[in-house]
Amino acid sequence: MKKTALKSAALLLSLALAASTAHAADPAFPKAPSGPVTLEVWSWVPGLDKTVAAFTKQYPNIKIKILNLGGGPATYTKLQTAIKAGSGAPDVAQVEYGFLPAFADTGGLADLSKYGAGDYKKYFVPWTWGQVSPDGQAVYAIPQDTGPFAMVYRDDLLKKYNIAVPKTWADYAKAAATVKTKSGGSVKFGNFYSTFAPWFMALAWADGGQFFQRQGDGWTQTLNNASAKKVLNYWNDLIKKGQVGTLAGFSADYWNAAGAGKLATNMEAAWGPGGYAGSLGTKSAGMWRAAPLPQWTAGSSVKSGNWGGSSNVVTTQSKNPEAATLFALWLNLSSSAVTADWNNGGLFPASDAGLALPALAVTSKNPSKFFGGQNISSVYAQASRGVNVNFQWAPWFPFVNDNFSKQIDKMLKGQFTPNQALDAWQAESLAYAKQNGFTVK
Amino acid sequence: MRNRATPWFFLTPFLLAFTAFFITPVGYALYLSLFIKKRSGFGPAKNVFGGLTNYVRAFQDSDFLHSLLNILLFLVIQVPLMLLVATTLALILDSVKNGFAQRFFRTAFYLPYTVPGVIAGLLWGYLYSKNLSPLNQITGLKTDFLSSGILLFSIGNIVTWTWTGYNMITLYAALQNVPPDIYEAARIDGASNWNVTRYVKLPLLRPALTLTGIFSVIGTMQIFSEPFVLRPLGYVPDNITPNTYLYLAVARDGNFGYGAALAIVMALFTFILSGFFLRNVRGEA
Repeated sequence: MKKTALKSAALLLSLALAASTAHAADPAFPKAPSGPVTLEVWSWVPGLDKTVAAFTKQYPNIKIKILNLGGGPATYTKLQTAIKAGSGAPDVAQVEYGFLPAFADTGGLADLSKYGAGDYKKYFVPWTWGQVSPDGQAVYAIPQDTGPFAMVYRDDLLKKYNIAVPKTWADYAKAAATVKTKSGGSVKFGNFYSTFAPWFMALAWADGGQFFQRQGDGWTQTLNNASAKKVLNYWNDLIKKGQVGTLAGFSADYWNAAGAGKLATNMEAAWGPGGYAGSLGTKSAGMWRAAPLPQWTAGSSVKSGNWGGSSNVVTTQSKNPEAATLFALWLNLSSSAVTADWNNGGLFPASDAGLALPALAVTSKNPSKFFGGQNISSVYAQASRGVNVNFQWAPWFPFVNDNFSKQIDKMLKGQFTPNQALDAWQAESLAYAKQNGFTVK
Repeated sequence: MRNRATPWFFLTPFLLAFTAFFITPVGYALYLSLFIKKRSGFGPAKNVFGGLTNYVRAFQDSDFLHSLLNILLFLVIQVPLMLLVATTLALILDSVKNGFAQRFFRTAFYLPYTVPGVIAGLLWGYLYSKNLSPLNQITGLKTDFLSSGILLFSIGNIVTWTWTGYNMITLYAALQNVPPDIYEAARIDGASNWNVTRYVKLPLLRPALTLTGIFSVIGTMQIFSEPFVLRPLGYVPDNITPNTYLYLAVARDGNFGYGAALAIVMALFTFILSGFFLRNVRGEA
């Protein structure tokens, strides 16, 4: 009798375990602290207040105060100042992956492994954990959203010029030449974002390029790595031939060209299509499609890189780091929050189970609707699983980011070859890092 | 005997505010500027006392020195041009007899100044975009106003557009204060319109021109929002103005000590430029 009870208990337990892996979007979260807690959250995710309503329902003693200070730099400036001042920082803040090491470097970020965050690694898409925990021990943030790379293209233009969707970069170059000839140069096949270093780096990332690496007591910086050279030479060639444009991203000029059929393809992150749907409205609606990023080798599995995406940090100034960690985990793993963030803000989840959530596959709503009803999330989910895990950033990346635009400007003016631009990028960034006291080769 | 404390009593509110909002921040900036970041291996940087290291670095920093050169270029080209236009407008406005026209043009010329700098930057950003710019559509050219070669001039154009009206108002007010009997006397002596302008109005405008000149020198040193708003539209060098360079040193790189040192150097530079300007203007008088 007793034995059977034990057996059935064990059976129940194993069933429960099986169920929990199947529904990993809602893992068992750490215990909430008793007593009233207020958490201040700095985030620019649209509609976050609605997302968080479910949290306060589940944890009535934790109050969430959300402040939207503006995207990226606007928030970083204030966070940087608050950390430096020693007071005024929030409990939780949104920080993009590339900028995490710079904040970790200020000493203002709590190591979340102390609060059990390490146990949740398995619930995230593998490469995202590498972004928040570069050494595999300290955890500086909980991954939130991602920007794996895929290609968006105008289905109508490709059909008009009788071109198959390019699967390799060789196909892509051939198609670019064809479009230039057939359109008399009025349609650009692609666009090189000349002031977005992370866009370029994502293309090299897809090829296995490494720009920074922690080694021993210091860093190695290789901005002029072989993949970077290969990618930049490839694009510079297309630009020089007039087959690819160099419009600034998110600018009026860019949207105008994209909406008017002057641009056939572009490489965009998972959050990009939402921007196309929002900015183009009815212009060219239904004509866009998404396809996997072209590959360097034909027939290989899809390899991709990442552009943007963000994480949630907990600051050392937080008086309730356990509750803050719990909130950050809930926000990025619970199916309700991941679904709401996708619906309200187009955040492409870092949660592994989140990629399979039904909300992402809805094709009757934007961005998929704008993309002709194609389930573009499945294209991006495949891309996310193909992102190289070991990609790292460095604390001085914000400088590197701006310096890229300087060198590319010289390349576009013909003062530098692509290799010279990358070498100058490497040299100037290295000098800067050394000047700021980093041990770097 | 009068109580010696009385003036101090009345000065207290000013002195308190002056100390809290002026002396203290300047003192704190001076203090911050003496610290440098030191690191060993990984982990956060420590702020250690570095003496004048930051100042030595500032004077060896070719990027920073280049930003000061940009400002000098601005002072030589943009400021005189702007003051010339402002003076011309003020003189024209002063001689218009129609009350409605005078009020209308006064407001119209002044209007750009009431547009906040960031909004002005965004508006001009549209006007400058290569494929959509009405300037390009009218002329049929494909000028890239945001290319790094002519960017400084494009920014100068925005600044001129914003500040000409403001300076015009100051000069116009000075002209309005001239007692009419001076003009009368000139007329009786047989002076033509041109002679009144050249030998009466312009000399009387000198103090107001000095004032607008000084404000323009100081204002030029502080140019920030225009280049910053244009950053997302194309490549804008970090060091296009000293202020953008300083801002990035602090807000992007987190180097508060170096930023403070740059601010002190900039303040000294402004001081010297203003002094130089004043001396030359007075020397001619």
